[in-house]
Amino acid sequence: MKNKNQEPVSSAVKPRIAIISLTSCEGCQFALLDLGEKFLEIVNKVEMIDWGMIEDEKDSGVALDIAIVEGTPITEQNISTLKKIRERSKMLVIIGNCAAMGGIPEIKNYQEGKNTIKHVYRYIQGIENTEIKEVDNFVKVDFVFPGCPINGEEFLKYFPELLAGKIPEIPDQPVCVECKARGNKCMLLEGKPCFGPMILGGCNAVCPTSRMMCQGCRGLRPKGNVKAMRATLKRMMSDEEFENITEIFGLRDDVEDREKLEMGNL
Amino acid sequence: MQIKINHINKMEGHAGFMASVLKGDVKSAKLEVKEGIRLIEGILIGRHYKDMPVIAQRICGICPVVHNLTAIKSIEKAMHVKVTNETKEMRKLLEWGQIIHSHALHLFFLSLADMLDIDNDLKLVEKYPEETKMAIKIREYGMEIVKNIGGRVIHPLTNEVGGFKKVPTHEEIENLIKQGEETLMIAQELGEFIAQFKFPEFERETEYVSLSNGKDYSIYEGDIISNKGLHISVEKFENNFHELQRPNEVIKRVETRNRNSYMVGAIARINNNPGKLTPKAEQYFESLGYKLPDFNPFHNVIYQMVEIICAIEKSIIILKSMIQMDLNNALTREYEIREGVGVAAVEAPRGTLYYHVDIDSKGYIKNANIITPTAQALTHLENDIAQYLVQVVDLPEDKRAQKLRGFIRAYDPCISCAVH
Repeated sequence: MKNKNQEPVSSAVKPRIAIISLTSCEGCQFALLDLGEKFLEIVNKVEMIDWGMIEDEKDSGVALDIAIVEGTPITEQNISTLKKIRERSKMLVIIGNCAAMGGIPEIKNYQEGKNTIKHVYRYIQGIENTEIKEVDNFVKVDFVFPGCPINGEEFLKYFPELLAGKIPEIPDQPVCVECKARGNKCMLLEGKPCFGPMILGGCNAVCPTSRMMCQGCRGLRPKGNVKAMRATLKRMMSDEEFENITEIFGLRDDVEDREKLEMGNL
Repeated sequence: MQIKINHINKMEGHAGFMASVLKGDVKSAKLEVKEGIRLIEGILIGRHYKDMPVIAQRICGICPVVHNLTAIKSIEKAMHVKVTNETKEMRKLLEWGQIIHSHALHLFFLSLADMLDIDNDLKLVEKYPEETKMAIKIREYGMEIVKNIGGRVIHPLTNEVGGFKKVPTHEEIENLIKQGEETLMIAQELGEFIAQFKFPEFERETEYVSLSNGKDYSIYEGDIISNKGLHISVEKFENNFHELQRPNEVIKRVETRNRNSYMVGAIARINNNPGKLTPKAEQYFESLGYKLPDFNPFHNVIYQMVEIICAIEKSIIILKSMIQMDLNNALTREYEIREGVGVAAVEAPRGTLYYHVDIDSKGYIKNANIITPTAQALTHLENDIAQYLVQVVDLPEDKRAQKLRGFIRAYDPCISCAVH
């Protein structure tokens, strides 16, 4: 297991998987652990390499079939860890909003940027304080499990495909489909803001089921119509409020890009 | 001699350890924190107060509940929002659920292997399959509470300023009570299993700080007290405890009014609340035979077991009382947005979590400060480890590193929380 010169994976051995955390709350990794027995079944089918949550072993550097990455690359060490794991992995899969969209750390990009640090630290020299960039700015990403945190059940649904070397496709449907299926009253119809229609479903509408508006942690769906969404929301919130909320999960830059695209298509 | 551990696994966040020992004298012992900064307090400035619990709970994936609770409580203090007794009870229940699942994870899956000199949890699970199932069942009960009351285990959804967006059904509460009663028996059994192991000998006198309401084992309300006679209101916290940042460090440490280090968490609460445990927890504590004050930090692990039993008993009491309540009273009530400063503290699994927020007349945040348990206990941990190092310095390197990692993990540090 620790032999560095071992040949990269053949089909006869169990696929090698690693989970790594960049800067984050590590909640997505816990969303996996919280699956309990169901997650252990997956663990039994694969060989977990250097799993920091269960063992003290040192990094063996072996080739990997799938690297699972959570968090935002903030420190130089994060970035180097990310690049190294990409090099030794056939496939790199990211879990969660931080890795996919920048997560809450990205809020600073929309605010005072590098100067945000002055509100927190007196001595800022020697502290790494870069602009927040998503994982795909540094390495090629093969698949994204979206959400803050990820939906564990969705992981169980698509991970076997990844293990078989296929890239799954999350259906292009809004959060509203699952929301309706759960029998929820539509918040928009009640005059309360919700981003559901423009956001990629697959979360089982966990937020609106708790009467919490969808704030878009899973990102825009491919056919999500921002213009129509904003027209609906106009009666419920100001443009400024809309922009503020899109900042929470790093959605604002994607919304702006989509709006430019929609303008171009006119 | 330089002692260096690059990374300590089985702990939330990224940190290593470095020490220097000269002729048996420990010159320095330091946790090397390698966590990126997310600047949570900085990004809250200028944002609407409603975003604060949503953003701040994302500091931590293990203990989002307590960040959610403390953020909301501080905002309610700032804006003078009153909440109903039903709301308070549901919030306490959330926190007990949080403590149950966080402690079960740490004590069984992160720390127990160290106490048994096992280097990999898969081996632990193989050797003790029945006990593993018990730990999972306990953890599941804690998670089930948070899921039913909070809407989701990681980053809960229902709790907000003024109350709850949604309340559980009668049936959900009944099911939780049933699960709670079963889990209580399982926890007592696991408690007996844990109690048979001998924890390493180590002692260093310290100040223990926690909340206390003077009545029962409190985690949600009360004053700040210590075993050295400190008794202040939560409002006076920042007058008595000082945050300091050393150059190049991303954790702001906290020291007492006398510039000393201190300890928080399960071991602090147990020391500060003699006689206030629930009956089964008290019985279990007495069966251990430890005398208070107890200055052995390894006992933090077994005191988490005591607290799990206490938390399950407390949760059942609250759940049973909820059956009699009209939970519609916990639904969010209208309130006025007002300018003000608010502070709040809640006992997180790892110790007292403190929030301070300053809100303007339109509800936008002017300033925020968050002081986490691990930031408070960090210097204490380093001071302890400097003394502990003398006991293990002559061991072979691998063995010594394993002992040091185990020692650090017994404190249950959360580096993600400490840096935020």
